[in-house]
Amino acid sequence: MKKITTRFGEIEYDPANIIHFPEGLVGLEDLHDFIVMPNKKKGPLFWIQCVDHPEYAFVVTDPTNFFLDYALAPDEEERKKLGIGDEDEFYILSIVTVPPSKEITLNLAAPILFAPKSNRALQVILENSPYDVRTPLPRLEDNEEAAGSR
Amino acid sequence: MLVLTRRPGEGIVIGDNITVKIIEVKGGGIRIGIDAPRETKIYRQEVYDRIRQENIEATRWDMADLDILSDDLAGRTVKK
Repeated sequence: MKKITTRFGEIEYDPANIIHFPEGLVGLEDLHDFIVMPNKKKGPLFWIQCVDHPEYAFVVTDPTNFFLDYALAPDEEERKKLGIGDEDEFYILSIVTVPPSKEITLNLAAPILFAPKSNRALQVILENSPYDVRTPLPRLEDNEEAAGSR
Repeated sequence: MLVLTRRPGEGIVIGDNITVKIIEVKGGGIRIGIDAPRETKIYRQEVYDRIRQENIEATRWDMADLDILSDDLAGRTVKK
């Protein structure tokens, strides 16, 4: 086990659980290694703590919980960077922004692809997509309506 | 910053394997073509800047936020 001191206090982690971002995050290219922190509370949010720069941590969530038709898949180049093949599974995560108003938004324009097999992850930019870097959560009524119309 | 003058059809070479070519100058815009290895990431600057800015913004939260938000969202997981 290893220890780091973060703004949330001391955190102990097993290096075997590190998720490696070979390219870092967009604009924060030095942030390579993260550990997933279980949220004490129930619900769709959890957080990832940077290990190489302990002052950085992000709230993340599975965007498909909120946006039912949100989908993307790594292309060949991205699979190579993730160290996975065509058949290997991957997950999509969105970084959550908590503005002063506490009306959270998801960054659907730059999701994180995570490959459990290799424990690697990439933040990809969806340049020609309709998705916004600050997408508010759909209101509950909208979601139910959308689900009902399927 | 290196500043060069190029005309349509001309280009520049960056390093061993990146070529930038001026395709056309039209209506205040310049169309450029870029040849680069597939693994080279190329983005419009404003898109990249926006994502970088949002990533930095997203580091500003605290544990109390997460607790409160988690309670608010506790019921909002879709059965898949």
